[in-house]
Amino acid sequence: MADMIQSPIQAADAAASSPKMTARGVSVFYGEKKAVDDVSIDIHREHVTAFIGPSGCGKSTFLRTLNRMNDTIGSARVEGRIELDSEDIYASSMDVVQLRARVGMVFQKPNPFPKSIFENVAYGPRIHGLAAGKAELDVIVERSLRRAGLWDEVKDRLAESGTALSGGQQQRLCIARAIAVDPEVILMDEPASALDPIATARIEELIHELRGNYAIVIVTHNMQQAARVSQRTAFFHLGVLVEYGETSAIFTNPRETRTKDYITGRYG
Amino acid sequence: MTDMAASIDPSPTDWNGEAMRRRIRRRYAAERRFKLLGLAAILVSAGFLAFLLVTMFSNGISGFARSEVRLDVDFPRSSLFLDPAALEGFGADQALAGADFPEALNEAAQAQYGDSGRSLFSEGAWIGLRDAVRDDPSLLGRRATLWLPASTAIDIAAKGEGEAEAERLKARLAEAGRVRTGINWTFLRGSDSTDPSAVGIWGAFKGSLLTMIVTLLIAFPIGVLSAVYLEEYAPRNRWTDMIEVSINNLAAVPSIIFGLLGLAIFLNVMHLPRSAPLVGGLTLALMTMPVIVIAGRNAIKSVPPSIRDAALGIGASRIQVVFHHVLPLALPGILTGTIIGMARALGETAPLLMIGMRAFVAAPPGGFADPASVLPVQIFLWSDEVSRGFVEKTSAAIIVLLVFLLAMNGLAIYLRNKFERRW
Amino acid sequence: MSLGAITLLILGLGVVAWLAARARAAAFAAPDRPRPHSLPGQHGWYVALWTAVPALIFLAIWRQVSGNLIYASVMASPEAAALPAFDMQRQAILSEAYALATGRAETAFNPQAGILAPVYESAIGFYNWIGLAVALLVAFAGGAWAYSRVSPQFRARTRVERIIMMGLLVASLIAILTTLGIVLSLLFESLRFFSMVSPVEFLFGLNWSPQMAIRADQAGSSGAFGAIPLFWGTIFIGAIIAMIVAIPLGLMSAIYLTQYASSRLRAWMKPLLEILAGVPTVVYGYFAALTVAPAVRDLGLSIGIPASTESALAAGLVMGIMIIPFVSSMADDSIAAVPQAMRDGSLAMGATTSETIRKVLVPAALPGVVGGVLLAVSRAIGETMIVVMAAGLAANLTANPFDSVTTVTTQIVQLLTGDQEFDSPKTLAAFALGLVLFMVTLALNIVALRVVKKYREAYD
Repeated sequence: MADMIQSPIQAADAAASSPKMTARGVSVFYGEKKAVDDVSIDIHREHVTAFIGPSGCGKSTFLRTLNRMNDTIGSARVEGRIELDSEDIYASSMDVVQLRARVGMVFQKPNPFPKSIFENVAYGPRIHGLAAGKAELDVIVERSLRRAGLWDEVKDRLAESGTALSGGQQQRLCIARAIAVDPEVILMDEPASALDPIATARIEELIHELRGNYAIVIVTHNMQQAARVSQRTAFFHLGVLVEYGETSAIFTNPRETRTKDYITGRYG
Repeated sequence: MTDMAASIDPSPTDWNGEAMRRRIRRRYAAERRFKLLGLAAILVSAGFLAFLLVTMFSNGISGFARSEVRLDVDFPRSSLFLDPAALEGFGADQALAGADFPEALNEAAQAQYGDSGRSLFSEGAWIGLRDAVRDDPSLLGRRATLWLPASTAIDIAAKGEGEAEAERLKARLAEAGRVRTGINWTFLRGSDSTDPSAVGIWGAFKGSLLTMIVTLLIAFPIGVLSAVYLEEYAPRNRWTDMIEVSINNLAAVPSIIFGLLGLAIFLNVMHLPRSAPLVGGLTLALMTMPVIVIAGRNAIKSVPPSIRDAALGIGASRIQVVFHHVLPLALPGILTGTIIGMARALGETAPLLMIGMRAFVAAPPGGFADPASVLPVQIFLWSDEVSRGFVEKTSAAIIVLLVFLLAMNGLAIYLRNKFERRW
Repeated sequence: MSLGAITLLILGLGVVAWLAARARAAAFAAPDRPRPHSLPGQHGWYVALWTAVPALIFLAIWRQVSGNLIYASVMASPEAAALPAFDMQRQAILSEAYALATGRAETAFNPQAGILAPVYESAIGFYNWIGLAVALLVAFAGGAWAYSRVSPQFRARTRVERIIMMGLLVASLIAILTTLGIVLSLLFESLRFFSMVSPVEFLFGLNWSPQMAIRADQAGSSGAFGAIPLFWGTIFIGAIIAMIVAIPLGLMSAIYLTQYASSRLRAWMKPLLEILAGVPTVVYGYFAALTVAPAVRDLGLSIGIPASTESALAAGLVMGIMIIPFVSSMADDSIAAVPQAMRDGSLAMGATTSETIRKVLVPAALPGVVGGVLLAVSRAIGETMIVVMAAGLAANLTANPFDSVTTVTTQIVQLLTGDQEFDSPKTLAAFALGLVLFMVTLALNIVALRVVKKYREAYD
């Protein structure tokens, strides 16, 4: 059974061992409405995977099923199977809180807590008990801020409120906050859509640097951005995964006409 | 169709004609009248408030003052057989309690002012005598001049509205420089009494304080936790609907009904002590809780969902999200609502009458289970007294109550302005 | 050992349990092992809750149960045989003995209380020891069981959070319990009342004089419980006189503040009006009795109507003033909810502001205003202190505002003050009146909220 639905891409990709996350036959319903229809996809380690598609195509909804953020919406219902390291994340034995620590998330609009910069980053390690003392916590906060490329800008004002930063800095703070809990996968939901071009470039650079340590999934409505940052691209349309493959292949030689139409700007 | 078209005057409207001008003038006059009417309504309302406050203040301010009459006491020749040495150290209180100060006052007053001398002084004036001796035992060895609280009749006369005879008496005293006005410490330190010149509000104030502590300790946690549950976790079902309907209705139930509830449940079923701050506080807590729930829900609702997403996204549990992020951010709003609810409870009278808090309580309550009065009830009780001396005391107590309510509401407004966050 | 001390002891045990479980859980964490599910502190809370909460629940129940057991054992003692049979005397002695035994009193006025005190003391001591033993047993059993479950895989956090969630649910159920408590206590006492006085007489009788006879053979001993004069008085003061004052003043204030006033005047006047709502009712009552009532009486006398000091007019006037802010804020909200387009439409065809207000805004906002007035009426008829202090006690069925009338709330206060036996119709009548008041205000509120809601939906 598993062999039958194994995607051709996975077979082609010999370099990646087992995928970090796999989704099989995932559908999402909001009440009666089906927002995502039978999606199967693999997310690979040390790759950036981009989800593209016109707005309302279900790409963000699908992204939120990967760390069960949809649980917070009462009417949402998920069918199908999603695995993280071959573990079913919707199984009753999976603790949703631990899942979200392993699969972090960065949101469309920067949403720092209205607390100090330090507290923003330290909150996650604290609730998960990742630091044994203040010294260790300091190390984690500095490392996370450095990885997010924010350390040099904020190292002298860690006690200032996170909301006082500029939009781009806030978003990098959110990324620092996400990587402070040492996740394995980072989900990014249009992380640059609320930012200006310079801040966007900075975030893209950051995504590029982070790829070495995490599996990153990014939802974007900006096709240039997908082409720039990702190795793999999935094209969603009307809740269906139309095409998934190497980014270069999708952008230069799409197999599906719908993909081609979207990329060439025929609709969207 | 054709008929109607024919009946309409085809000629253009004459906007500058005399009739039209008159009409416009009339309409503008109506406009001005209407506007004036609105202004008058506002002014009447505000004027009434001002009138009320001015009445209370002008009546009550004299309640904080008292008239004192001069008394020369020749201690060595008085009937006080007290050894100054006995007033040092341990036996002092007992020695004081054993001495007959009322009689000593009687003698001194008669010696100085004649047979009716005692009636110039308040019934409790001997306490002033006793306190003077306690503070300075050396007085016992000499003649001393003391100022002691005047009787109610003299006090009222000194404040300008006494009866003719008292007025004459007071005028004579004033001529001789034997009457003066001082701060009425008894009013601030004392408790209820049958003599208006000896009453104080400290007892009622302490009763209010204890009652409010019980109310706060019960209503605040229950109110906040209910608000959190309803706003963050409650599933949409019949139970939740019932809770919501209950809370909204409780907020509109007349306060006296809560008094009936307190009487039936806390006193008759649970046999808690009558007239006690404990029962008063419980009753008022049930009344205040819906206010806190409603304010709490609004405050929690105004915390943006993106904060919840952010915390959930790094693996905070739903409980952690609320207790680490949502509640701290909603706290100023919750506190504002709580203070307003508490201010309402502080001014509440009717439910407390139901649970027996209208007893005559002459000593401040020592604990939550002791019989106590509270400020508004004390006001109600004094307002019922026939003696004229109680009028200024009632108004003075009202001033105290209003000052506290104003302070609480001011604090609420300050909190709201200071911590109000725009997202 | 008193129950308070036992409670503290249990809480102390909870702290010990917290420390022990935390230490045990902290030992799981090691760099080479997989991360445990929950933090040490969460394990600590889990064990502490299991140690303290069941034991405290037991203590709370025991407090009630042991009170009865102590009473029973004292009554069964030979010393109690000498107690007087008359209930009130006996209760006084018993409560004095109890105060002596618990150290709240030092000397007994009644010698019998002095004899009973040691009996009480030993009974209290005995049952408190039982309480202590069982509470400790429960605490240790709960704590040990929870402690045995502490392991790296054990989901202490989830468990603790489930307990917190239960606590939240229980807190929100208090509201239902309160409502239930109100309804049941009113219903229960009212039913007792209606078993003595027929509901028809109560609801439709024209004569109210609730005095009960001291002797059974006294003339006019039965008392009359016809509540119509009270209902009329309540409506006369709360729904007629007060509204005649409050509706025009409140509505015109709202109109002026929303439509004409400069923003500075508005910023000042709105809170000023709110203060009117924040003044305690006992202050209004005093004001009505002290200042307004004599003025009203003088007015009545000057126009040749014999007037009493306690008049419906004085109470109604002051109540109307108190209600102004309710009417004005409801009217304010309703007018603000009328779409701007309606106002613009009227102004654009040359209507003056007042014409727009009178012909467009107020009619459009009318349902909201009516809802607000209904809420204000429900508030006014439930108001107690103003009428208690200014309206009087005479149950007159009169439409003369200078006459004295009485209201439902006044009579509730009147019936329940003073020491009454709790099974006389006089006391129980207060609960029947309370029930009527509760039902009427509830109905008014439900109707008002429905009207307002419908109105809001029309413009959303």
